Amino acid sequence: MTTRILEHLTWFIERVLAYAFIAAVALNFLNVVGRYLFGATLLSADELQIFIMVFMTFLGATVVAWRNQHLRMDVVVNALPLQVRRLIKIVELAAIVVLAGFVLWNSTYYAKQMFNIGRVSDMAGVPMWLPHGAVAVGFGLMAFIGCLRLLEILAGRWSDGNKTGTGA
Amino acid sequence: MSFALGVVPVVLLLLGFPIFIVLLASVSVALVFFMHMPIAALHQNLFGSINAFSLLAIPFFVYAGELMGRGSVAQRLVDFVQGGVGSVRGSLAVTTVGTSAIFGAISGISAACVATIGRIMYPAMRRAGYPEHFAAGLVTAVGAIDIIIPPSIPMIVYGAAAEESVPRLYAAGVVPGIMLSLMLAAYVMWFARRNGIGAGEAFNLDRFLHATARGIWALGMPFIILGGIYGGVFSPTEAAAVASVYAAFVTRFVFRELGWRDIVEAAAVTVLFTAQILIIVACAGVFSWLLTVNQVPAAIVAGLQALNISAWMFLLTVNVILLVVGCFLDPLSAILLLTPLLVPLVKAFGIDTVHFGIVVTVNLAIGLFHPPFGMNIFVAQSVLGLELKSIYRGIIPFLVIYLIALGLITYIPAISLGGMRLLLGLN
Repeated sequence: MTTRILEHLTWFIERVLAYAFIAAVALNFLNVVGRYLFGATLLSADELQIFIMVFMTFLGATVVAWRNQHLRMDVVVNALPLQVRRLIKIVELAAIVVLAGFVLWNSTYYAKQMFNIGRVSDMAGVPMWLPHGAVAVGFGLMAFIGCLRLLEILAGRWSDGNKTGTGA
Repeated sequence: MSFALGVVPVVLLLLGFPIFIVLLASVSVALVFFMHMPIAALHQNLFGSINAFSLLAIPFFVYAGELMGRGSVAQRLVDFVQGGVGSVRGSLAVTTVGTSAIFGAISGISAACVATIGRIMYPAMRRAGYPEHFAAGLVTAVGAIDIIIPPSIPMIVYGAAAEESVPRLYAAGVVPGIMLSLMLAAYVMWFARRNGIGAGEAFNLDRFLHATARGIWALGMPFIILGGIYGGVFSPTEAAAVASVYAAFVTRFVFRELGWRDIVEAAAVTVLFTAQILIIVACAGVFSWLLTVNQVPAAIVAGLQALNISAWMFLLTVNVILLVVGCFLDPLSAILLLTPLLVPLVKAFGIDTVHFGIVVTVNLAIGLFHPPFGMNIFVAQSVLGLELKSIYRGIIPFLVIYLIALGLITYIPAISLGGMRLLLGLN
């Protein structure tokens, strides 16, 4: 059940980010057109594009985590026996839970402060707790995914399917 | 502190942890156990590292390449180059090199080049009598040019990590990219002559003009990007966004090959690629900040100065390190991990950071197809169904050519900096 919910949630995040990214491309393009054809630009466009990139980074990272596609150097570990790899995977997942939880706590505190003081961005007037909150939400979801995987592996269910490489 | 910033990342990297977790573990251990800093510095640096307009060029260029890589763009470029090459010996192999170089000026994603150009050129070369290992080695190795010829994603990442100008890096990558293409073309022509491989069809103006007309929209992309940046029309980020809109327009309305769903699908692929990279950029930003406040680069510089090694020796050592690292790590991760440490040393030795950026890029380009773990080897293996043994055997001569080019680029800075000055109109 939880797996199905996360599958739908990550698919939804991916689609929303894809449309938001297309909007960022359009904003940038319209600003170039506006500058040369009308001598005017949308001053808030740069800020909005950066915030979209922030969401793509931290929320997109949860989709990448769910699909086991975070970049890693697994040449050495792949040469180890299965039992050793399983043990390393347990340590890795525990580290992800602790570290992502640490960032979640840290970023939530920061985003909350932004909310309390009512800080908004200079040009677009976007409440700053939103982009800062994206860091907390992203790492929070990664901690949750790590927890889920840790429980799975401890229960004896484990598929060793990591992917590496960017192709760039 | 050396435990947190030295031992922890190396051990976790070897254990195969995700790279962003390697960096995050290192900075968290340093902040919590060894430093008296407000913990809020972690969030501020994570957020601050991504809060940069110049980084938007990464997803924009990836999106443009993703759109252009779908459909018939690769085939149109092949037809255009083949039409121009004419009846030289080894014309198909020369076409593979030329098409990859032009594809590099459009996409800048090496694996995409190996997959798309390889799918077209490998079977064609085999039908024309090229040995299997040669064709396999060529299509695997030639994709690495893509990250040297602008637009190059690794150069944007290096520019962000080293605080160096992307237009300068792009301008500096043009001549090394062309030089490498010419060296590869010269070798494949020599190989074809030596092995009695026949020449292609004679040059035919009508056919060439027809191929040019079919490929003109794809060929327009490099002109928009480079012409826009160096003509002072756009910033690199704007050039990338304009290239994305151009790619969407051409593939949707001119070639009529992509639907709206494909355009959204390409955006989704771009989002995931961006997240993979920028989450490392965010954590590397905190790592880099910690290195700086703990004066780690300054200590290494002092240590190297005490050893009294020359810039020549330093570059040789860095080349060896980067080649080894490039065999195991993808270029972007390697740049983000090493640049904060290396750039202060580079400056201390009086080496130009633009020149060094090109040296880093060429090194890591070699890592993309260097046996045994170069990523493009596995792309060629899976996409073209080739045997690893055949790819390994075929790669060796191309590896030698890349290494010769690397030596020239490293020790003759004018190759990269001369091109840069020419393009930027500097004295």
